[in-house]
Amino acid sequence: MAGPQIETVAHAPTAERAAETDATNLGKPTTESTEQASSGLPQFQFQHWPGQIAYLVVLFAILYVLMSRVFAPRIRKIFDEREKTIGGAIASAKAVQAEAAAQAQAARQALADARASAQKTAADAKAKAQAEAKARQDELEAELSTRLGAAETSIRAARDAAMSNVSAVASDTALAIVEKLTGAPATGEQVSAALANLQG
Amino acid sequence: MAADPIHQFQITKLVDFGQVNLPLIGKTDLAFTNSHLAMTIAFLVIVIFLSIVTSNMKVVPGRTQAVGEQLFSMIDNLGDSIIGPEGKKLFPFVFTVFSFILAMNILGLMLTFTVTSQLAITATFAIMTIGLVLIIGFVRNGLGFFKLFVPSGVPIVLLPVIVLIEFVSFLLRPVTLALRLFGNMLGGHVALKVFAGFVVALGALAAGGGFGLLGIPGAGLSLAMVVALTALEFLVAFLQAFVFAVLTCIYLNDVVNLGHGH
Repeated sequence: MAGPQIETVAHAPTAERAAETDATNLGKPTTESTEQASSGLPQFQFQHWPGQIAYLVVLFAILYVLMSRVFAPRIRKIFDEREKTIGGAIASAKAVQAEAAAQAQAARQALADARASAQKTAADAKAKAQAEAKARQDELEAELSTRLGAAETSIRAARDAAMSNVSAVASDTALAIVEKLTGAPATGEQVSAALANLQG
Repeated sequence: MAADPIHQFQITKLVDFGQVNLPLIGKTDLAFTNSHLAMTIAFLVIVIFLSIVTSNMKVVPGRTQAVGEQLFSMIDNLGDSIIGPEGKKLFPFVFTVFSFILAMNILGLMLTFTVTSQLAITATFAIMTIGLVLIIGFVRNGLGFFKLFVPSGVPIVLLPVIVLIEFVSFLLRPVTLALRLFGNMLGGHVALKVFAGFVVALGALAAGGGFGLLGIPGAGLSLAMVVALTALEFLVAFLQAFVFAVLTCIYLNDVVNLGHGH
């Protein structure tokens, strides 16, 4: 019994409005008098509601199913794929960057090594040269000192010889002087004793 | 009468299937009307557009795909930002509501009939949304759903008043949802029709000659108004669909994240 009641309720206001507008629009011809029971807002012609609502609900349901089963998953999939692609590209770029950094580090290390070894070689060469020079210098010094020693020995020998000659010369001279002064030659023993006295 | 700005909302039967007597509803006209036709076109436009967009998707999108993805991610971000992680599950519903309303609004500016200016349609959208809110609310929270009307941190003295206000505002949600969209589309199209009617009426006045020639600038001004209003209506068409989607997300968020804001 609910059906007819709803219908009468729905139609009551439109009927009233129709009466009002008919009163105000006296004599005006209405072209859609067959379509339109009232000349109020057509949206309130409730006899058209159930058909529209039912059709909308059906279309909405179909559209909802299409959205949730077909369109949304497809778009979501491409979003994920894009995210993955971008993420992968960023990751590979980062890897390449890290590799480049590592290579740069290795190159720097190699350069440092090369420099260190070059410095070491230079230092070694210098040390070797210095050692050689020192050795030669030592050799020369040794030779010089031996020569010096030999010279000193020969000089000492010459001096000693000279010194011994000096005493002979002195005794000869002393003999000659004594002979000249005294007229009498002195003996060699006397002169030697006198010289020994002088020297002692 | 063609000049009647209300006439555009008249439902006319294109194919009449006669009357049937349905249980509960009573006698009903069964017919394929201009409203049904416009709904069908909107439906087909969405399905065809999204089929084209999603049929051959590429990681680097083309133009059509970019437009589709833009709409998609706009609503997706909306759901994410308002509802949170649960938004993904509700996305199809929100996107269906958004795209259907958007298609109906935009087609209303191109066809002779605007579906969303029918209260029956906007009310159905509103009731479906609130229905989903109620279903999710009771399924997820059981009787805890009623906590929705009891905001936390309210002094005990004020509680009865607050609960009453919250309850009434909840009851008014479907009403405002339906009336906002309906009113915007109705008002916009009536205004368009009225100014377009001025163009014709003032033009006819000018055709009579004499002082009637003064009607020409008036007609030109009205024509400019029609152009400006059409541009505005395109904005409104998009905005109202978006507002409906935002409010749907907000109402769904209330029950999805009940009692623990995210």
